[in-house]
Amino acid sequence: MISCLLIHVTRNPQGLPVCKNSVITGSTIQIGRGAACKVHLLDHRVSLLHASVRRSEDGALYIDGERNATLKINGFIAQSAPLLPGMHVEIGPYALVVEPAASGHDLILSVELIHPLNDHDAGIACQTAPVTLAALGLSKRKLGFSLAACILFLYLLLPMLPSASVAFDKWQAGMPVTLNGSWSPGPLAGGHALFGAKCSTCHQRSFQAVSDEVCTGCHKQTGKHLAKEELQEKTFKATRCTECHIDHKGSERLVLHDSSTCISCHGEIRRKVAGSELANVNDFATGHPPFHITLRNDKELIRVRQDDKDKLIEKSGLKYSHQVHLAKGGVSSPQGDTVMRCQDCHKLEESGLHFAPMTMKKTCQQSDCHALDLTEPAEGLAPHGSELAVMNHLRVFYSKWLNDSPENRAACDPDVQGITACADDLARKNAATTLFRKNKECGECHEIGPAADNDVPWKIAPVRINRDWQPDAAFAHAKHEAMSCTDCHDKMNSRTSADISMPTIAKCRECHAGNHPAKGKIASGCDSCHRFHQGVK
Amino acid sequence: MNMMQGATLLKYKNYRYLKATSLLMLLAITAYALIRPAGGESYGGTWLGYLLGIISTLIMFFLMWYGITKRRITGSPERRKLRTRVARSTEMADQARLERRKTRKKTRVLSGAMLQEWLSAHVYLGASLIVLVSLHTGFHFGLNVHTLAYVLMLLVISSGFYGLNVYLNYPRLITLNMTEDTLDNLLLKIAELDELAGTRALGLPDEVNTLIMKARRETRIGGTLFQQLSGDQKDCPTRIAVQQMLHLGAKYNQDDQPKIMRDLYSALLRKEKLVLRARTEIMLKARLECWLYLHAPLGIALLAALAAHIVSIFFYW
Repeated sequence: MISCLLIHVTRNPQGLPVCKNSVITGSTIQIGRGAACKVHLLDHRVSLLHASVRRSEDGALYIDGERNATLKINGFIAQSAPLLPGMHVEIGPYALVVEPAASGHDLILSVELIHPLNDHDAGIACQTAPVTLAALGLSKRKLGFSLAACILFLYLLLPMLPSASVAFDKWQAGMPVTLNGSWSPGPLAGGHALFGAKCSTCHQRSFQAVSDEVCTGCHKQTGKHLAKEELQEKTFKATRCTECHIDHKGSERLVLHDSSTCISCHGEIRRKVAGSELANVNDFATGHPPFHITLRNDKELIRVRQDDKDKLIEKSGLKYSHQVHLAKGGVSSPQGDTVMRCQDCHKLEESGLHFAPMTMKKTCQQSDCHALDLTEPAEGLAPHGSELAVMNHLRVFYSKWLNDSPENRAACDPDVQGITACADDLARKNAATTLFRKNKECGECHEIGPAADNDVPWKIAPVRINRDWQPDAAFAHAKHEAMSCTDCHDKMNSRTSADISMPTIAKCRECHAGNHPAKGKIASGCDSCHRFHQGVK
Repeated sequence: MNMMQGATLLKYKNYRYLKATSLLMLLAITAYALIRPAGGESYGGTWLGYLLGIISTLIMFFLMWYGITKRRITGSPERRKLRTRVARSTEMADQARLERRKTRKKTRVLSGAMLQEWLSAHVYLGASLIVLVSLHTGFHFGLNVHTLAYVLMLLVISSGFYGLNVYLNYPRLITLNMTEDTLDNLLLKIAELDELAGTRALGLPDEVNTLIMKARRETRIGGTLFQQLSGDQKDCPTRIAVQQMLHLGAKYNQDDQPKIMRDLYSALLRKEKLVLRARTEIMLKARLECWLYLHAPLGIALLAALAAHIVSIFFYW
């Protein structure tokens, strides 16, 4: 049996010890957290049964730690030790001190909680964790101003720097990421892409609009809209290039395809420009005058309205029937009847706009047609050229023929003496009978009249085939290649070259709408046919 | 703000601002549809684009002015707390206090009415910017400062819509969750239950004691931003403790332990419910306030982007 005086030591607010005694007895004194323990230490750091005080066979008292329970005796970890006065035993947060023995008790133990739990250890974590967003220390102002500062630095200050120095601008323009790239509202158009991020190429002065001089510095060949300087200056003085040519809209959009700007003047051109001969134009489909055809009138070019039929006559100087050449059964040729197509004579140029000029050799004499044959007294071919050139060729041809064989000289007129004179005589006779005949050979295509010149007594009317019927408009034949020529040009029944078979505006309107899209038609603005910088007279 | 106040906000003076902004949007859309700019392509550089840009900028300044006005009238949350603390600690004469209260109440009523009108205009005008600014852009976007300003504006407006939604719905949910309690009350009750459970568990085997201690130590209420917003704790120790206690109850069914285990289980169950309510309260309040941590800073950032946008346009005119 062990009799133990247990002294519970606590501390008052001043830190002075307050003792409370109790006596416990038993053969074994259990120390632990459990309710069955006689030394009841209420702390979770103490095991349910932490240690026991027992008496050994020789009567001495010793403390014996339970399995997995730690004892710290006089500062050293131990499992078991005899209890001697002054011994200091730590069990969890408690310190047990063996007090000197006194009468009536086998053992006197003082117990004190030396490591009390603080709030955190007690597990009141939930009360210390932030429970509001404000408690997290987040600051709307700090975040906002930080973001704003970043944006102002990256997107306001840095893009301005290149404008301070040309060299710096050039250097940064070559970088993979440019400083002022973030200011570009969109990709540059076409050739302007070469400038890249070197904004100062066009934007030469800060806070000032791009001037026309910047544009014309490169685009030197660009014509003005009006040929009359005074009118051009008056009309377009306040108009800047960039009002129509808006860049940073992608590779396609630099030229203004909108007709509204054109119509703003041409819709009331008669009122706006006193003395203008132009008709008001509002829309291709509904407000456009009939086309004008440009013709050569002897010495000058004249423009004839297409509805003025009496004046609409071509004076090309040629006699030509499209009906004969485009006959369905074919046209007679050295290879027999040959069916011809428009493209056999009208060869589209690479530009796709105009046709290559027609020549006698490439056009009329293709497939051995229209050969200028000489039959009497010798067979040969005359060249196509001026009257004098033809006559000279004949003279040389007969002279050579007379020299070839003495027998040939029998063809000479007895009154004509000498080979040269004979050749000239033969040339004159044969030119008159085989070449310069009305409606035959040369006369089949050309108007032939007499000339006062003794050497060349024939005069061919000058040939002026109209190549551009509407020089103020651009028509892309290449874009219309899906159509047949005769869909627009009514040439199948044309017997004379005086016929003009240019399509009227009504024909174009069958497929082309005006400024606004229409069902089954192609929207066509002013610039579909007209060029602003063409310099209209 | 409760549901009724929210409804008043939207219906303020018979939808005055809804009508005004609808008219504004209708005019803008009509102009955009009918007016064909040179080149046939709308963008910020046409006269209509400039006009829409100027109107939108003025509206943005007006909307931001609301934030400044609100802070001036109500003060920042920190200042409000400070005022309350000072008022509590200061001994004021009853009469003087009464007089001051009357004056403050009058000012607050006036300011409140004014703020409500401002807020109603703020909501509708803010929403109208989506239409006005989109038309201003002509629907041209790219990786540049101009689109950055547009995106920031959309983010500010989106956060504003979220804020409107939570202000209309969350106050009711908070009331339903908390009834008469406050968060401090709940935390105290939880602490009491922890204390009780801890004491009870001391006499029980280590397995139970450790479980209870873990539930006490590691159960977290509130915490980081995402923890507050989620209103949950992954593998919540209290929830696990409740589940484990069912098994442990059967295991340690001896002596007088069944009663202690029952008490412990009951305490844990009560704690779990209180923890859930506390977390829900924190979650709802966090969600009620979190949008402002985007709305206000992004608004300031938008102002900077707007400045960069406008300067860039005229710098490289």
